[in-house]
Amino acid sequence: MKFAHLLVCIAFGMTLVSCIRDEALNAEADIVSCKLPGDILKRDPIIENTKVTITVNPEANLKHLAPEFELTPGATISPASGTALDFSLPQYYTVTSEDKNWSKKYEVVCIMSGSITNYHFENVKSYANALLKYSYDILFENDENGNWSMDWASGNAGFALTGSGNMDKSSFPTSSTAEGKEGKGLKLVTMSTGDFGNKVGMPIAAGNLFLGWFDVASSMVNPLKATRLGVPCSYVPLYLKGYYKYKAGDVYKDSAGKIYDNVKDKWDAYAIFYETDDSVKIIDASTRFTNSHLISIARLSDSERVESSEWKEFNIPFVTISGKSVDEEKLKAGKYNISIVLSSSMDGDTFKGAIGSTLYIDELELIH
Amino acid sequence: MNLRMKKIVLSMGICLLSGLGTTNLFAQQDQNAGIIKSSLAGLEYEVKAGFNIGGTAPLPLPAEIRNIKSYNPSLSIGIEGNITKWFGLDRKWGGRIAVRLENKGMTTDARVKNYGMEIIGDGGERVKGNWTGDVKTKVKNSYITVPVLIVYRFNNRLRGNIGAFASYMTEGDFSGHVYDGYLREGDPTGNKVIFADGKTAPYDFSKDLSRFVWGPEAGIEWRAFKHLNVCGDLTWGVNDVFKKDFDTITFSMFPIYLNIGFAYLF
Repeated sequence: MKFAHLLVCIAFGMTLVSCIRDEALNAEADIVSCKLPGDILKRDPIIENTKVTITVNPEANLKHLAPEFELTPGATISPASGTALDFSLPQYYTVTSEDKNWSKKYEVVCIMSGSITNYHFENVKSYANALLKYSYDILFENDENGNWSMDWASGNAGFALTGSGNMDKSSFPTSSTAEGKEGKGLKLVTMSTGDFGNKVGMPIAAGNLFLGWFDVASSMVNPLKATRLGVPCSYVPLYLKGYYKYKAGDVYKDSAGKIYDNVKDKWDAYAIFYETDDSVKIIDASTRFTNSHLISIARLSDSERVESSEWKEFNIPFVTISGKSVDEEKLKAGKYNISIVLSSSMDGDTFKGAIGSTLYIDELELIH
Repeated sequence: MNLRMKKIVLSMGICLLSGLGTTNLFAQQDQNAGIIKSSLAGLEYEVKAGFNIGGTAPLPLPAEIRNIKSYNPSLSIGIEGNITKWFGLDRKWGGRIAVRLENKGMTTDARVKNYGMEIIGDGGERVKGNWTGDVKTKVKNSYITVPVLIVYRFNNRLRGNIGAFASYMTEGDFSGHVYDGYLREGDPTGNKVIFADGKTAPYDFSKDLSRFVWGPEAGIEWRAFKHLNVCGDLTWGVNDVFKKDFDTITFSMFPIYLNIGFAYLF
């Protein structure tokens, strides 16, 4: 019996192993890296699934830029890598997979710097996935001339992965609302991530919005590190000002689902200003208040994190960390970053909060 | 595992023999008369017990599967009762019908590339995409099976049989988890999400299993003692274990199992 069992196991195992077929051609169509000649880059290019953001020095000539792309092995790109194009407007590239069955359109944008300081939340575009039947809002800001200036980042792409969102954009934690203080506004809601989110130990998602970018790829492994805070900043910020309305959800839970009867959920708004160098190009949420590169932090006090059913102003001063100062030369050279973070649950980054907590924000301003 | 299996074989054997012994004590006369009568009419009865060893596997293996890192047949048992009707004077040929209660199971750990995956949560949430990385799969299905076979007697000791079986699944489990790799959300151009450092995502396709499985069956029996046969029967499912409208796994999978065991011949 023992021998027969062994024999059959070996025979069956060998049959399967010997049947492993030749590897199929790659089906993916990714831009893996983006290079630009010379030293015109102010930051490393940010490569997202369908978008590449290139931040260049002010003296760069956007009319003739020839970015070079590294792709998924075997994939092809059109226009070809290294073609000189006019990047004063966004350019579009199509990457086709090695097996030719899949292609992906990338938007490649060049920005000089994030120079705007008034955020009105009037502009919205959407990201829709027809196959998985969901869509969510991406808020963006234009400069005073009405030209696109920046996209706000949020965790919506991570929430989408849990399958909890649908075609209704307000089914996502971060969305635009028609009922802003003036015109449209921002609406952040703490939501359940459903069965799947629960199984991977992330049972809630707080609505959040920030300056920086969200790295979906690493969001399951380490959501804090996936939250990259910071855009280039050419001024010294003094105050973060804005208007809010807030209603806390009923039941406060931690990531294990434990209910805390005496804890009321709180909202959060903060901004960080920090120096970059070759080793620290961007700060992620895991060291947002502790990183040695921080210069100043603006943070709500606990007494200000209260509910309000009417629009209420907040004005938070930037407090310089002792021993830190701003170097004018480095400021001119664009070596500083700033990030603003807004959240419907203060401890949402560690998956603690109350489902249903709702924060409205409008007319946000960085005073410098 | 082997020790555990030995113990189970032993205890099953003891149960079988003691059960038969008890019957003999009380109704030996009647039973013997019945068997002799049946035997004269060319009828023969058998009770079988054995282990199912095999796999629920795609054939041939699709290109998505890059490596099978481990395979374990797990403990799957089949218990069968059958009747054989022998034909002619020499009784070389016979027909057999049986009823079998059985499990067919396995666990595997495989490395895949661009493998269709879908996770449906209890709240109906859908997480769908193409997975590149490691997949652990556990299959454990329970069936009521009816084989219909032609039996041929080579000599007094050796018999062979061939025919077909039809199975009804009473309970099914096809589940597992993915780890150490990445999911492309929706299709190969979707958002890439890495699972590493112990992060896993569970999946469960149990609800998508088809209730019916059928296919050819063939086996041999070797008569070790007057009443005891050692037997091996191969069942080869020819329809997909999944329902027709299930398209998450892009290839069909078939249950192919060898049952090895003993038969008591009355």
